[in-house]
Amino acid sequence: MIQTNITISNRLGLHARASAKLTKLAGSFPCDVWIARGDRKVNAKSIMGVMMLAAGIGTEVRIETDGASEQAAMDAILALIQDKFGEGE
Amino acid sequence: MTFAVHGLAVARGIAIGRAVLAASSRIDVAHYFVDAGRVMSEIARVRSARDAVIEELLRLQQTVALMSAKEAPQELSAILDVHLMLLQDKELEEGVKHWITDRLYNAEWALTTQLEVISRQFDEMEDPYLRERKADLEQVVERILRYMKGVASPVAPPPARPAPRQQDLQLGDTEDVPLVLVAHDLSPADMLQFKQSVFAGFVTDVGGKTSHTAIVARSMDIPAVVGARSASQLVRQDDWVIIDGDAGVMIVDPSAIILAEYGFKQRRGDLERERLARLRHTPAITLDGERVELLANIEMPEDAESAVKAGAAGVGLFRSEFLFMGRQGHLPDEEEQYHAYRRAVEGMQGLPVTIRTVDVGADKPLDDTRRDNAHLNPALGLRAIRWSLADPAMFRTQLRAILRAAVHGPVHMMIPMLAHGSEIRHTLALIDHARAELDNAGIAYGNPQIGAMIEIPAAALTLPLFLRYFDFLSIGTNDLIQYTLAIDRADESVAHLYDPLHPAVLRLVADTIMECRRQGKGVSICGEMAGDTSMTRLLLGLGLRTFSMHPAQILAVKQEVLRADAARLAPWAQRVVQAEDPAAAMAD
Repeated sequence: MIQTNITISNRLGLHARASAKLTKLAGSFPCDVWIARGDRKVNAKSIMGVMMLAAGIGTEVRIETDGASEQAAMDAILALIQDKFGEGE
Repeated sequence: MTFAVHGLAVARGIAIGRAVLAASSRIDVAHYFVDAGRVMSEIARVRSARDAVIEELLRLQQTVALMSAKEAPQELSAILDVHLMLLQDKELEEGVKHWITDRLYNAEWALTTQLEVISRQFDEMEDPYLRERKADLEQVVERILRYMKGVASPVAPPPARPAPRQQDLQLGDTEDVPLVLVAHDLSPADMLQFKQSVFAGFVTDVGGKTSHTAIVARSMDIPAVVGARSASQLVRQDDWVIIDGDAGVMIVDPSAIILAEYGFKQRRGDLERERLARLRHTPAITLDGERVELLANIEMPEDAESAVKAGAAGVGLFRSEFLFMGRQGHLPDEEEQYHAYRRAVEGMQGLPVTIRTVDVGADKPLDDTRRDNAHLNPALGLRAIRWSLADPAMFRTQLRAILRAAVHGPVHMMIPMLAHGSEIRHTLALIDHARAELDNAGIAYGNPQIGAMIEIPAAALTLPLFLRYFDFLSIGTNDLIQYTLAIDRADESVAHLYDPLHPAVLRLVADTIMECRRQGKGVSICGEMAGDTSMTRLLLGLGLRTFSMHPAQILAVKQEVLRADAARLAPWAQRVVQAEDPAAAMAD
């Protein structure tokens, strides 16, 4: 299992559309993908779970991937968050 | 943390159990329990509805993809994306499965319950934008519900299950624990379904003492609190709650001490009931030898059994409208009604049954699809006999069915909400017409006594007119109070003004009883007042000898009758009626 901390930097945070993108991406990997904020950890493949983290801009979250292609999954998800979910702000 | 929610005390007793929230979705759903054997097919019903909605959204998305950016903004596709993912989300699916499998909720109820559970988590979010994403979830759940509504449920609601014994209660146990239903509001149709189910008590946010929820809870003899404002928002699914039906209080998350105290109260109440049960075969005769008739109000033919069990001397009010409710516009035909009335008549084993013609409208809409928001004051609108006279063919169907049922035992027919002489004559003409139709068809029918309800002040003020046409009168005190005092029975904000002891109300009741007795015609009260033990002595003193109430109240009223001396109560009752403050005069 690998884990990395990252700060949400897009203006709207993990809102519905960003959550959808994240969930879809996580779902495309065979490994388990978790996202945690503080002591709350949710399955990153569940949009409901991700939305309910309520991670706004500036929130630090922890990504965990575990299983086949865990490194690829981690890289892809970090890239998505760093890219501000493709929203440009 | 323990806290209490106050409402109106409407049905006595104590219930202790876990809260079940009947979520009030914008779509009205049925709530009932399914058989354990139906769990899989119930889950399949949600799944196929969900899959159908997914397909629908996918098709929509394809259409959007073909449009130019100007016609369909990119956002639309993204929103559809979110909705599709929500539909397929594990958290929703697992939750729904849980409510169906572990609680035996029907599919719609399971969906709305899970929606409520997730919605609460959204509500707690600090970020207003995210908080509002709840709307997306609500939309997809509503889509599923709407789809399911279009597809008729194959499940016959609700299988009867014996109520769990309160004594077996143990904290922390989720199996066989009594359940208490907490809802914003319950429709009469909902209540009817719950009637045969497991709930040990009811709490609703809205409603007054004579709202339908209250009446049905009383008839089931289970504790209920209505008008508890925001109870359904304060309580969470599965919270431990105590309902104190005598005080009108719901206690949420009670401490061990409070729990013990209410456990004691509950056992004391059970003992009192056992004591009353011994009066069942005792004739209702006052100390001075006046015979009093205690009748039952019933809603379905099957209720005849509980009426007989409670020692009722007959049925004083069979609310036929319950046969008409929740049927999506398909009203029962003559045969179905005839068989229902006949079952009630036969169920009473030779005791008289008074069937009231359909009384819909106001707080009893036929079903929610017909609720008409254009008419803000349905209590003053097209209801009861007005509704019947507006559709003579429908009304004659009912009249024929009642006339035919009268072959099988003593039947009285009662007409609700008459106010005008023209209405009386029109109604009686339709009864004659119905008889002629049966004659022509060569179908046997009986000759029931015809009576009228006195529930509009105009009727109580024109008694000679009514007595010229009718064999007996029955005072519907709930509506009589509502119309005399201009109080909406269903509106909890004016519930404190709803006063059975208002001098005007007492005057109308006293005059009706007196005038009927003077003319030797039968008179009864079939409203809530008849079953209220604090009113029994007063009504006896005013000369009332026929009371019709929920079967559950008969024994308690009988106890009052047995202790009363009617002759000595008469002068006192007159003083109460003439007093400026009757409630104070009653205490003298």
